Amino acid sequence: MTLAFVGGTHRTVPLDLRERLAFSAEQAAEALRRFRERFPGREVVILSTCNRVELYTAGEKNAVPPPTEQIVSFLAECRGIDAGLLAPLLSGESDKAVVRHLLSVASGLDSMVLGEPQIVAQVKQAWAIAQQSQTTGPLTGEMFQAALRTAKRVASETAIGRQRLSIPSMAVADFASGVFERFDDKRVLLIGAGKMARETLRYLRDAGARDVVVVNRTAERAGDLAATLGARAERFENLERELVAADVVVSTTGATHPVVSEELFMRAESHREGRPLVVLDLAVPRDFDPRIGKRPGVWLYSIDDLSAACDANRTSRQRELPGAMAIVDEETNRFMGNLHHRSTVPVIEQLRAGWVETGDAELDRLFRRLPHLDNTSQAEIRQAFDRYAAKLLHSPLASLRTESHSGSPHGLLDALKRLFDLKE
Amino acid sequence: MIEFVSRISIVCFVASYMVALVCEASRLVFRSGIRGAAMIGFASAGLFAHTLFLLWRAANESAVPLSSAFDWYLLAAWMLAAGYLWLTIANPRTPVGLFMLPVVLGLIGAAQLSSREPFPQTPATQVWGAIHGGFNLAASVAVAIGSIAGLMWLIQAGRLARKQAPLQGFRMPSLEKLAVTTSRTLSIAAWTATAGFLSGLVLNAVTRQAGLLETVPWTDPVVLRMGALVAWLVSAECVSRITCRRPSAASTAAWLSLVSFGVLTLSILWGLFGVTRHGVPPPKPLPLHSQHVPAAKAGLASGVSP
Repeated sequence: MTLAFVGGTHRTVPLDLRERLAFSAEQAAEALRRFRERFPGREVVILSTCNRVELYTAGEKNAVPPPTEQIVSFLAECRGIDAGLLAPLLSGESDKAVVRHLLSVASGLDSMVLGEPQIVAQVKQAWAIAQQSQTTGPLTGEMFQAALRTAKRVASETAIGRQRLSIPSMAVADFASGVFERFDDKRVLLIGAGKMARETLRYLRDAGARDVVVVNRTAERAGDLAATLGARAERFENLERELVAADVVVSTTGATHPVVSEELFMRAESHREGRPLVVLDLAVPRDFDPRIGKRPGVWLYSIDDLSAACDANRTSRQRELPGAMAIVDEETNRFMGNLHHRSTVPVIEQLRAGWVETGDAELDRLFRRLPHLDNTSQAEIRQAFDRYAAKLLHSPLASLRTESHSGSPHGLLDALKRLFDLKE
Repeated sequence: MIEFVSRISIVCFVASYMVALVCEASRLVFRSGIRGAAMIGFASAGLFAHTLFLLWRAANESAVPLSSAFDWYLLAAWMLAAGYLWLTIANPRTPVGLFMLPVVLGLIGAAQLSSREPFPQTPATQVWGAIHGGFNLAASVAVAIGSIAGLMWLIQAGRLARKQAPLQGFRMPSLEKLAVTTSRTLSIAAWTATAGFLSGLVLNAVTRQAGLLETVPWTDPVVLRMGALVAWLVSAECVSRITCRRPSAASTAAWLSLVSFGVLTLSILWGLFGVTRHGVPPPKPLPLHSQHVPAAKAGLASGVSP
């Protein structure tokens, strides 16, 4: 059995070339069909995401895998790219390295953002497209099943995908949600509406926020933003009043000095009746006077605070990497062990069949010589012969199984073939 | 079946709760796919054994829950253990057991140190005794839950103030939820402790009127400690209500709940190791024939001939 893959990722292929190389679902299906025509008998799956394009192929032992250069040319041809341009950027692996690579990819260990979970869905989708195109088989089937199983194990047994790495998601999930239990009864105030604020609002909406007010220096711009975001626009002059009503503030103005001074905030605070306030100050320079963060009941997070927490999470994910790789190695070895063991099946079947045939012939001769044996006695003798054969076969089969876990047991297989005169 | 139930001892459910606590603590060290199930399994087994133990005592030893200090502590521990199980099933990612199970084990420890002797009862005092015990039980459980929520609030607020992401396996509920729990349990504790104290006064009056049992004097340590606890809880509730519209209201309530738990713990320790006439049966006049027996035995033991 042979396994191979050729592909490139964000590390090796520049973005503009990755964009040209990427396959849509329809393009992938068409490429799979063409690959099957060109290399009959090969199973094939194409994994195409915004960060990687990889072609996995597998076949029985006598189906020699196409060389890496041919697969690179095939990919280039499918996407209309000069093969000479792609060749130095794509790389290939074979056998165990293919399995280890796929298992790492599916677990998010090879992703741009370490441990990101979206890749599992993309691997599943790649598998589904190949299945619909009827280019899968038992080998790729087992390999992709192993990949999904490994991804599940890595996700549940390590914390590699747990900590958030994007500032908006962390601001909402780890900080705002640490203060508030629910957001459907909270007022969200956007001061300015930069890209980061919109992204943060998306997470707040996912968490249940409905009541959103946009305040901007330009009333017209505030109106446009409010219409886009499904929010209510307010004049900048009403900022103090809006601060009284707000529970979460997301601020991203381009102002060069604090938009909310301590004095302004204290005036608003006196009317807030002690309600807690979460302020996500995502502006540089800061929109909120940092002294406001020292007021009781105010949870003020600047972009630097959130970046530092993200960095800590990134480091934490890196710490989980050895544990995750250990799972990948364990699953790779298990897969390869099963694969090697499977290659011994024909020899085992031949060996068993030879013994059964010889045993049956001997028994027939014996029963002809002892015609007085009734059916019960004959059955007993047959069972004894079967047990004897099974016991004799047990040791060589156990040795084969053990040997399979450390690689293909060619030596043992050859020895068995020679000793018992087994044919290919 | 009856033989099985009769063999259940405190060790059975203490061991189960301890294993559940170790599982909870292991959240901080490593991740596991089966830990949640193991935790719920051990806690359920412990609670099941705990329930059977209380039922067995009620059925066979005339020790209806609350009829002795021993049963009172065990029932309080049972309520908290049931609460722990419910919270763990509802919020599997919150390590609530790290806070609740030590209190459960502490109450079982207090039960072990307390008297198993049933409180003296007459038909006249039985109802008031149950009301008195029930209110005090509710107050103690409310104080324990409130203090746990208060402690969790302080930990969560500390994490948010330090601007740190949650630790692995140590994700606390939101401040909003914890603040509501703290202030509600503080109110419940104040009201039920007051009701418990007042029902104790009624119980004492009924006892005096019936003239069958000894009354508990005002200067008895139990009366003093319960009085102190009630005074503290009512004061804490008043402070909490006065400050409820201030930005520091939740923090104040959290600290008040923690101090309440300290006062409750001192009160329990005082009850365990102090001298009291609360719940003590009156000395029975010895029958004439039994007065002679010890003397005769003493004589035999000392080798004196009759």
